[in-house]
Amino acid sequence: MSLNASYSFREGWIGLRRARLASVVTISTVALTLFLLSSMLLMTINIHRIIDTFKKKMSIEIFMDSSQTAAQIMELENRLLRTPGVQEAVFISKEKALEKFREEFGEDPLALLGENPLPPSFQITLKPQYRTPARAEEAVHWISQLEGVDEVVYHGRLFKTVDRWSRTILLVDFCLLLLVLVSTLLLVANTLRLTLLVQSKNIKIMRLVGATQWFIRMPYIIQGVIEGGLGGTLSALILWIVLKGVLLRFPVVLHGVLTVLGMPILLGVFLGFFGSLIGLKRFLRT
Amino acid sequence: MIQLVDVWYRIGGNAIFNGIDLQVKAGEFLYVVGQSGVGKTTLLRLIHMEIFPQRGKVTVSEYCSQTIRSGEIPYLRRKTGVVFQDYMLLDDRNVYENVAFALWATGVSGRKIKKRVFHMLADVGLSHKRYSMIHELSGGEKQRVVIARALANEPFVLLADEPTGNLDSESADDVLRLLKRINSRGTAVVMTTHRLELVQSFPGRLIRISEGKLIA
Repeated sequence: MSLNASYSFREGWIGLRRARLASVVTISTVALTLFLLSSMLLMTINIHRIIDTFKKKMSIEIFMDSSQTAAQIMELENRLLRTPGVQEAVFISKEKALEKFREEFGEDPLALLGENPLPPSFQITLKPQYRTPARAEEAVHWISQLEGVDEVVYHGRLFKTVDRWSRTILLVDFCLLLLVLVSTLLLVANTLRLTLLVQSKNIKIMRLVGATQWFIRMPYIIQGVIEGGLGGTLSALILWIVLKGVLLRFPVVLHGVLTVLGMPILLGVFLGFFGSLIGLKRFLRT
Repeated sequence: MIQLVDVWYRIGGNAIFNGIDLQVKAGEFLYVVGQSGVGKTTLLRLIHMEIFPQRGKVTVSEYCSQTIRSGEIPYLRRKTGVVFQDYMLLDDRNVYENVAFALWATGVSGRKIKKRVFHMLADVGLSHKRYSMIHELSGGEKQRVVIARALANEPFVLLADEPTGNLDSESADDVLRLLKRINSRGTAVVMTTHRLELVQSFPGRLIRISEGKLIA
């Protein structure tokens, strides 16, 4: 393999300027498709985050007999933390439960009934792998077997509905993401082929005078990487501007912004590299 | 040096060669004549290993069509310069760059390229036009640039496909004189043409292609 690096870089750069229109088309296509892809990805990350937060909040409440002693409560807490699926168990005393009731409902049961009717309880958070209806029910089963547990309150039906909807939303989102990714790949490969078509005469001459396949490929791969990288940077810039505008109007906390801004640049370079390699195949057939 | 043994080649249902044999010796000047579409260009493409025979074998120097690997083809092509009727020059580059392109593409270093290109342009009488763009040249001058490019890698054979096809008779004579001079220095020339008057003015071995056969 005879390679002349400076020649390859110079030719790659010259190629960009010579096939100006094809280069502009390629860069714009990469920028627009990667912008679409990054927006979709940002949406997916945040939908996933919202669903996850909701599932995390789907806690299980355990009520105990009011006659339980401090030692029994401590014993139950230890057993709960050893139970499969339990990540966290927060104790809510009778007094704390009364305080919460007053805050939430604005009424005082103590004044009405003359005594505190609210039992002590534990609020259980499940481990992430148990945040599915089937596994949560499994955990509920184990918890209800524990000594000292009077009643287990678990909103199973609501959990099932949320889980079903979140699966549907993620599936649709994943399909859309896949569709956009495949379209991006095809579009980029085709537009890069346009650049190569403009320079097919150079490629033919190179082949006829005895250039090795890698020597022919290098300038075009460099050209593809530059075009892909520029397209990716442009898409990140557009996304950043759009996000800034949206966040100014609707101040919400978005997750994964940095990942989504960095991703198109890397993906652009990747697409440019493989797009050129695939596009060149046709021209390099002996 | 170049040997074709029992070469069969067909395109679709159309037979171009039916078991032809040919030998081109070092330093030979060979004319290939025949009617349009008879297979003159196909013969050159077989020697240049752009295409391969369906039967038989083509041997060029140490490379054989039956055993050559795709990675070896570029090295074969450096030993076989090609000249086309339609020039195949890069219109957006000047004369110097067009000749240098063949050397760049084969990985020759910068200093050697400059020396070699100046030498080649002097050889074909185009030193004074080295910075001219291709569209500023006459047909004969364009063909001389192509010859300079083809010779840049010092091939042992020059394959010229109708090099005078687009030229007036005066320019055609100039190109033939140049090819003869190159040949006299030891480079073999295989040239296709349909202009028999050139063969009479610049003698060489002649073969005719007719009905898939070579006639000496």
